[in-house]
Amino acid sequence: MGLLRYTTFRVAQAIPVLIGITAILFLFINLTPGDPIRIMTAGQEVSEAHLAYLEQRYGLDRPLYVRYWDYLTGILTGDLGRSIHFDRPVTEVMWPRVGPTLLLVLSAFLFAMVTAIPLGILAATRRNEPTDHISRLVALFGVSTPSFWIGIMLIIIFAVQLGWFPSAGLVMPWHVPDDAGVDGYFWHMIDVIHHLFLPMVSLGTLQMATIMRVERTQMIDSLQGEYVKLARAYGVSERTILRKHAFQVAQLPVITLVGLGLSTALGGAVLTETVFNINGMGRLLIDSIGRKDYQVVMSVATILAVIFVVGVIITDIAYAYVDPRVTYGEGD
Amino acid sequence: MAVSSESQVEGGDGASGEVAAKTWRDTLGRIKRDTTARWGLYVISVVLVVGLYAFVDTYLSTLTFGAFDNYTMAEAIPIFDHPEHLPAPGESQPNQPPAFHVDGSLEYPLGTDPEGRDYFTRLVYGSQISVSVGIVATLLGTVAGTIVGAVSGYYGGRVDDILMRSVETLYAIPGLILIIVFTEFASGGERNIQYAIIGVSLTTIPIFARIIRSRVLSVREMDYIEAARAAGVKDRYIIAKHIIPNSFAPVLVYATLEIGVVILIVAGLSFLGYGAQPPTPDWGRMLAQSYRYMHSNIWLSIWPGLAIMFTIMGFNLFGDGLQDALDPRIDN
Amino acid sequence: MSTEPLLRVENLKTQFVTENGTVRAVDGISFEVYEGEIVGIVGESGAGKSVASMSLLRLVDSPGEIVAGEITYKGRTIFAAEETEDGDRRPREGTLSAETVRKEIRGNEIAAIFQDPMESLNPVFTIGGQLREFIELNRDLTGDEARKEAIDMLREVGIPDAEGRYDEYPHQFSGGMRQRVLIAMALACQPSLIIADEPTTALDVTVEGQILDLVDELQRKYGTSFIWVTHDMGVVAEICDRVNVMYLGEIVEQAPVDELFYETGHPYTKALLDSMPRPDRTVTDLDPIRGVMPEAIDPPPGCRFHPRCPDAREVCRQIHPEPAEIDRVDGFAHRSACFKRDVFDVGYDESPPLDNLARSERGQEPSEVASGGEANE
Repeated sequence: MGLLRYTTFRVAQAIPVLIGITAILFLFINLTPGDPIRIMTAGQEVSEAHLAYLEQRYGLDRPLYVRYWDYLTGILTGDLGRSIHFDRPVTEVMWPRVGPTLLLVLSAFLFAMVTAIPLGILAATRRNEPTDHISRLVALFGVSTPSFWIGIMLIIIFAVQLGWFPSAGLVMPWHVPDDAGVDGYFWHMIDVIHHLFLPMVSLGTLQMATIMRVERTQMIDSLQGEYVKLARAYGVSERTILRKHAFQVAQLPVITLVGLGLSTALGGAVLTETVFNINGMGRLLIDSIGRKDYQVVMSVATILAVIFVVGVIITDIAYAYVDPRVTYGEGD
Repeated sequence: MAVSSESQVEGGDGASGEVAAKTWRDTLGRIKRDTTARWGLYVISVVLVVGLYAFVDTYLSTLTFGAFDNYTMAEAIPIFDHPEHLPAPGESQPNQPPAFHVDGSLEYPLGTDPEGRDYFTRLVYGSQISVSVGIVATLLGTVAGTIVGAVSGYYGGRVDDILMRSVETLYAIPGLILIIVFTEFASGGERNIQYAIIGVSLTTIPIFARIIRSRVLSVREMDYIEAARAAGVKDRYIIAKHIIPNSFAPVLVYATLEIGVVILIVAGLSFLGYGAQPPTPDWGRMLAQSYRYMHSNIWLSIWPGLAIMFTIMGFNLFGDGLQDALDPRIDN
Repeated sequence: MSTEPLLRVENLKTQFVTENGTVRAVDGISFEVYEGEIVGIVGESGAGKSVASMSLLRLVDSPGEIVAGEITYKGRTIFAAEETEDGDRRPREGTLSAETVRKEIRGNEIAAIFQDPMESLNPVFTIGGQLREFIELNRDLTGDEARKEAIDMLREVGIPDAEGRYDEYPHQFSGGMRQRVLIAMALACQPSLIIADEPTTALDVTVEGQILDLVDELQRKYGTSFIWVTHDMGVVAEICDRVNVMYLGEIVEQAPVDELFYETGHPYTKALLDSMPRPDRTVTDLDPIRGVMPEAIDPPPGCRFHPRCPDAREVCRQIHPEPAEIDRVDGFAHRSACFKRDVFDVGYDESPPLDNLARSERGQEPSEVASGGEANE
């Protein structure tokens, strides 16, 4: 089929899902009886006329399906509605907050993969030895511990008690101060990592543990495969077998897992941003719900879901790239 | 998430009840012998006993010999009408450290919270929410997912298409975000725990639906199903009596592991304020409250987190052991 | 043919230590392979054939271990153990190191072809790539030279459009084609000996025929020796020069192929032959061997086949027969491990017959069995 055709195919497949997402979210948000403006202003002295004005301004006086259709078409033109709380377009409100969330999530994944894959391979090659047992134990703790608690404990130990790391906030790599030269840039990056470290570990631990377990299982499986036996029979060294013959085949389920893990990671980002007081999309979601700023809630939830879908498509393509059986079909 | 998505576990495929029964007995034997599963069960039992004790004590403190009377009282659980008792001034100090600390006392073994309530008691009572919500939500999701998956797999065609597409779309929204949005809006801002439970089960439905559907697809082709259909047996009966029992084994493993995941999610929900509402003690919420005292009283943050970790680990151990016992090929 | 064998195996024993006991998968087998011949190892599943062939390359995975015997190839010792003073085992002086076996023996001298071509080829690499890697490893060719050699070999085994298919993946080939690729791999490394472990078992009968013809042709062209492991007597008849019959970890009969079929020396071999449909015989019923081959953990005492042998006697249960020469044909010994032969002097004729499954099923009377070993029709 070819990689390009496969990509197009996957993207086309995703479109109904994306539409469906907006439908479900829209449905949920409008489950509440009563209208958002009244709820938001409940307890305040507001005249009927003003309420009516607000309703009209935010388009809440129209029937459900009209609002949904408007919203959907709005997305295509880049209009995600208006934030009631900020009285600005939602896009404006979201834009500065996308960076921190993406930085957090991507670095967490990087951390997870860089630690989990070598550990998993190590555990597989030293199966049933102490190294294996310890790694598995660590992984067990990793999947059993809430990420926000890890965050809190990390803050307590490393920020409060030891003072090695800051306890809140993120510094963006692209917010380099204007007067910084090459030198300043370097120190800026250090600052970025300094702030990023604890949140990254806190969010990434669950991913790391999950990936490590699967990597280990897959490597064990792969190492028992007939093709590995054949390679050995032809005199391939153990190192090459590990690095090349067993490794690539073993990665396939791991790739899928990384894609699916994005869902948990985005949810976890909400928690991590709360614990570390990071001004990202997750925090915006929580705050907006508290403020009854429904347009923002709708849009943020949608964007996060879209990020997930895009992530899955990317990993699917990566999978297809590694596994020729997907793109080249069956030849038999 | 603790498990690779593709582990297909072979349960009893036998058409005759005898064969199925023998396979179940074998399986139970293997589970009993597996160390991981055993340890998991020990941990789970500890948690369950604690929760049960707390449950009983809510009503019949005479039965529990008033063992908890000395310790400052358990909180009320809204659905049961139990009076709350705050300590009289001077009875206890707020923010006391645990017993092994210099300033602590055995009367409040794990210290007290900012309102002077005994932390140990709160911890014990908090177990009820975590465990019961975890189990109920998973159960709901399993049942709903099974029905969806079974119907989808059995009937195929357009029914299958529509159902699976909807399930996929549901799955595309990151878990925590879906639950938060649903709980908030479905409960009209009141965030009752019942809605949270439903929200959580919504996120588990796609997983189980997929597992069951793929099993059903293979079981459906078996000869004895065709024979039953040819003999005129009603579809509903076939699904209930033959298809579901024979597709169930992988679901069992997954459900156990899913309970662990669910408890993790619920902890996060509670932390954000979507779980049990005050004054009900709940581990996640206790952590949210302890967050503010990170600098002054670190003990508040430590105990609930440990409790959550311990509980989830129990379920994960058990699920892991279960998986090993049912699918021994890995460690052959 | 030179008088020195290419490969000599003496009293090879390979065992697996499991929690249920020690599995004696290969329990003392001896055979030789000379230049230019195809030697078959035939037997039921579980007889130890594959373990034996893998032992030759020292490819036994733990918990398995070669515990005794000697494997000599072209005068070099692949395996030989001796006892230390403490009663432990250590490799004898002159035994090749693991590293040497890997670099110099595997592939270059002895190559292997496995049973399931789909599983044996790595699904994420092109077959050309895999071929090239093995060629580069085992011959003094690199890069483009290796690639050219690989394509030539693909052509040699009958794959059309070899150059084009070089860049394709295993799943794009049919079963027979994949097996040809495996054969190409083996031959491309130019070994003197190829171990083929049930290479046609997973193939259609017609495809099997094509592969066997191909092997025959290539063997004559390159003069490579083969060890052909199979459970199919028909395949044996078609391409083997000499045959070893294995049962439960032991070789029970060893003979040139015609001898084996027409002057069968061991009841097990006879039973195998009788249980198969043969185009040169018309029978109303097939005659399967009664019972099932027991596990190699706990073999029966004495002759391991005695519980299923129609000619079993008491003495068969008490004494363990070793293969002994019962005839010589074309300069090769015909050996059999059955007391029925006169060469054994253990009082077989006088010993009372055993009442086992085979006998009671057949309903034979003891006096009807002649000591020459002819089965009744």
